[in-house]
Amino acid sequence: MNIDNTASQMRKGVLEFCILSIIKEGEAYPSDIIEKMKAANLNILEGTLYPLLTRLKNAELLSYRWEESTSGPPRKYFTLTEKGAGFYKELEATWYELANAVRALTNTEQETIINNSPADAGDNNFNDHQQ
Amino acid sequence: MKQVININFQGRVVPIEVTAFELLKNYTESLSRHFANEEGKDEIINDIESRIGELFQEKITKGATCITDDDVNAIIKNMGRPEEFEAMDDTQTQSTASSSSSQEQSSTGNTQPAGNKRLFRDENDKVLGGVCSGLANYFNIDVVIARIIFVVLLFSGIGFLTYIIMWIAVPSSATTQIGGSRKKLFRDPDEKLIAGVCSGIGNYFGINAWIPRVLFLLPFLSFISRWGHWGFGDFGDIVRFTFSPTSLIVYIILWIVIPEAVTTSEKLEMKGEKVDMNSIKASVMEEMKGVGKKASAFGKEASSVVTEKANAVANDTKNFARRSRGGLGNVIAMIAKIFAYFIIGCVGIVLVGALFFFAIAAIGLFPLKDFLIGGTYQNLYAWGTLMFFIAVPIIGIITWIIRKIARSKTNGKMLGFTFGALWVIGWVCFILLISSISRDFNYNSKNLTEQDIFLTNPTVDKLEITSKSPLYKYNRSRFLRFEPFEGIQEDTAFVNNVDVRIIKSTNDSFRVTVIKTATGRFRNIAEENAAKIQYTGVQKDSILQMDKGIGINKTDKFRNQRVVMTIYVPVGKRIKIDRSISWFNDVHFGSNWNDGDWYYDSDSDAQNWKTGVEYKMGADGQLYTLNGVPAGKESRTKVRINSNGIEVTTDNNGNDQDNYRYNSGEPMNKIDSMKMKLESEKQRIKDSLEKAKQKIEQQLEKIGDNTEPAPLSSQLHSLSPLMEIN
Repeated sequence: MNIDNTASQMRKGVLEFCILSIIKEGEAYPSDIIEKMKAANLNILEGTLYPLLTRLKNAELLSYRWEESTSGPPRKYFTLTEKGAGFYKELEATWYELANAVRALTNTEQETIINNSPADAGDNNFNDHQQ
Repeated sequence: MKQVININFQGRVVPIEVTAFELLKNYTESLSRHFANEEGKDEIINDIESRIGELFQEKITKGATCITDDDVNAIIKNMGRPEEFEAMDDTQTQSTASSSSSQEQSSTGNTQPAGNKRLFRDENDKVLGGVCSGLANYFNIDVVIARIIFVVLLFSGIGFLTYIIMWIAVPSSATTQIGGSRKKLFRDPDEKLIAGVCSGIGNYFGINAWIPRVLFLLPFLSFISRWGHWGFGDFGDIVRFTFSPTSLIVYIILWIVIPEAVTTSEKLEMKGEKVDMNSIKASVMEEMKGVGKKASAFGKEASSVVTEKANAVANDTKNFARRSRGGLGNVIAMIAKIFAYFIIGCVGIVLVGALFFFAIAAIGLFPLKDFLIGGTYQNLYAWGTLMFFIAVPIIGIITWIIRKIARSKTNGKMLGFTFGALWVIGWVCFILLISSISRDFNYNSKNLTEQDIFLTNPTVDKLEITSKSPLYKYNRSRFLRFEPFEGIQEDTAFVNNVDVRIIKSTNDSFRVTVIKTATGRFRNIAEENAAKIQYTGVQKDSILQMDKGIGINKTDKFRNQRVVMTIYVPVGKRIKIDRSISWFNDVHFGSNWNDGDWYYDSDSDAQNWKTGVEYKMGADGQLYTLNGVPAGKESRTKVRINSNGIEVTTDNNGNDQDNYRYNSGEPMNKIDSMKMKLESEKQRIKDSLEKAKQKIEQQLEKIGDNTEPAPLSSQLHSLSPLMEIN
């Protein structure tokens, strides 16, 4: 079991959720997204962002418009589509469920037995969304 | 001081250092390779490039004169390199699948999750070549067990060859795993000692270059261990300079066959670094785009030409088929085809079989080669023949079979070509060897003077000629015994090429002479070889004991040495030739034994005498048995079994000890024991037994006297009631 591998797997799962939540706040330009993530102490390589955005756009969760820029080539500004908003809602619900479960498990080890079943359910959901 | 160029990047002119431009170009190329399989690849790259262009613009508007290496490196660091994406971002479904499945493999020991198993060498879990772990995966057993089996086999000698062949034949798992290294065999010019063969091999197998180097050097150093040596013994024995040319030849062939890694990508491929399936697919696809257009144009042109010709040919054949009455012609063609395939198949099987037989024979005979061949060239040819003519096709066939089993599709043509080329070398060696050896057998010696063998007492009544070699040596039948010589003692082999003639003596004493013949490259060498033959005997009373054969040593070699022994027997005296003389007396090379110079024709005055039989010399020069029957006309013992019983006829020619005789003692004992049983147990039928007993005894007496053949059927008939009782 590789620690880096596990950590990156964990991060990966929430990456799309984070991007969608940033764009939900308003039109976003990729470097804005990176900046906001950095500010929240979630460092990712810019190079990995572009393929993700393209994938989300191809899945019709995002749309974009071109905007002329003074300091270079025209920029792409991304917005959430209706489908994307619905997708985000589902992800959000799953996330809070999962976050609660994880917190419950990690904070109070004695109550593990009681919290076992919701944790399992959360796990399953998590996996579903990954796929 | 650096050169600065202007480039058009994302629609803007950007001044950039040449070196920085190189960095940028490499980076964008690596990106396009990384995203080759990604949907919307162009869009992603365009996004990234426009972001880079924006960053460039920022730099320039801030007052930078041009884009430097540092700027580009900083941008690349922010953006991340493709290989970093892989670590960070695993959402690429393929790589996720492959990595997780490979984890599954190592945990469950299963090559592929479902069905369709293929044999691979496992690059992830290897000690040497991954053969054992691959096999373990394939057969679902523990790797350790597979390794133990191989190590055990190694001690029996088979394991090593098997392992090497499987290493070559079984494809590596890396060739199919996405992201795995795809290696090619190159010669490494950076780390070379001679031509970079060893370091290239080391790179390919991921081992230190010194391992192949030592493997190549070991045979060279064999003069220390004297392992499988052959020598330039002709230099004299002061310095016996021996070495094996095997590795030298192999090295030279590899030198020729393996290309040198010249370009950077070739070097990367050689080491298997960062050149994954994606990148290769991408680069091939990029090339194909360009080539594709050309190819399609060429294809159209070519296809029009081909179709024209094909139509013409088709018309011709159609006409021909019509002329040969259509359907029937087809059937005949079909039958001919099947027949041809059948013949080709048969010939193939026979060839392979013959090859294997030849290989076994050659390996069996190889220790004897020093008695036959001499000189550097002949040794070279012999080794070449053994390796390339015999070993190469066998390894090739085994490799082919394993590749078929493993369903390997890589480099098949190249392997086939290599094996074919090596086999051609083998043929050349074989032909040179045969022609070179035949020249040594070109001339027969002409000096045919008879040399007397000293007899201490030539006037004995009876002479029995034996040899020192044990009788029936060759009756010790071993499976596949390839030893034409009488046996080898240190550096001398014995060959029993002795012809025996028996002639009437002119006086009343025995006389034994020998004529020695041999062959050689020239007439005088043939004479020398003949003169060197040592073949004498010692008389003890009536026994003349000859040497056990003609000694052949390694310096004089085997050159069809042959001895004709003539025995002059006085009239009325007895002679016996033991079987140990001329038991296996036709070891020779080539067919020109009787080449016209040779006056002695073994058929003309051959007497039909047999070994192991005592004869008497008649006054007419003819040999007679002690019963007076001429030699060769004595009839043999006949055992005839038919409805009348067992009939044994023996000609009493005085050689009773050699005749197989029907011994009637045993059946008698059996019948007696039966009788005893019956008498003790079955009192009720005593009367009928008495009768039967009388009958049997009568029959047995007849057999015992041997006056009349005893009818077996009646015996059986009389015994039958007893059997029923039992």
